[in-house]
Amino acid sequence: MIGFTTPYLWYSSRATGAVSLCLLTLVMVLGPLVSTRVGGRRIGRFAINELHRSLSMVAMLFVAIHVTATVIDTYVPIGILSAFVPFTSPYRRLPVAIGTVAIDLMIAVWLTSYFKEKLRPDLWRAIHWLSYGSFVAALAHGYLTGTDAHTRWYLILTVGCGAASMAAIVWRITARPERAGGRTALSPLDAPAPGRRKS
Amino acid sequence: MAMRKRGASFRLVVDPVRCDGYGHCHELAPELVTLDEWGYPIITANAFPGNDRELMRSAQLAVRGCPRMALVIEKISAQ
Repeated sequence: MIGFTTPYLWYSSRATGAVSLCLLTLVMVLGPLVSTRVGGRRIGRFAINELHRSLSMVAMLFVAIHVTATVIDTYVPIGILSAFVPFTSPYRRLPVAIGTVAIDLMIAVWLTSYFKEKLRPDLWRAIHWLSYGSFVAALAHGYLTGTDAHTRWYLILTVGCGAASMAAIVWRITARPERAGGRTALSPLDAPAPGRRKS
Repeated sequence: MAMRKRGASFRLVVDPVRCDGYGHCHELAPELVTLDEWGYPIITANAFPGNDRELMRSAQLAVRGCPRMALVIEKISAQ
């Protein structure tokens, strides 16, 4: 890939970076909602888990496009190596490295979830905690090196996404999960028995 | 595969230590799992035939959807 550059690649990189941030935030908010057992009445608890999983796949796709566009574009000298090995980018070494760390952690979380059944559950869990680090790194990467980082909309996005994930973490720590909540409304046992109506 | 045709049967097994009563298994496989009043699973089907695709599918969804990885599908060896 010698000297291939078009503004559209750079635009794609910026746009998919911002979209990735939004999607990652959604994933980060949905995770704690699974572990604090939200759902069961209007929406199944399993559905929140599924949403968490499938949105993470979509987020990873956008991250992949973000990386691919940046690597292909020779406008900035970021090679394929720098996408996976931190501190190898001649361009904005530290902020790019932070993005790289975010990707590496993301891949670790993704692979361990993909092979979840084959892993010891506590190992999966321990590695899954890294997603918080990955998210913070991604947020910092966008703020530190994003071309749009100092535009008003991106600042609002950064603060919004940061606040949403903080709220999710606080919720996770403080919420009292509906531990022995018992049957959910989806449960056939929870439905009033036929013929037994409230009078 | 040959075993299945001859009617090997399977069952869902809960690891009671790992299980934390999330209740996803009941939502995903209501025909195999019900919940006790504390939200912990009770496996209602002792065994289901391996060629029952729908039940097998439900069981697989429940196993995959368990946030605590507390479920497995166990093959019941012919007795």
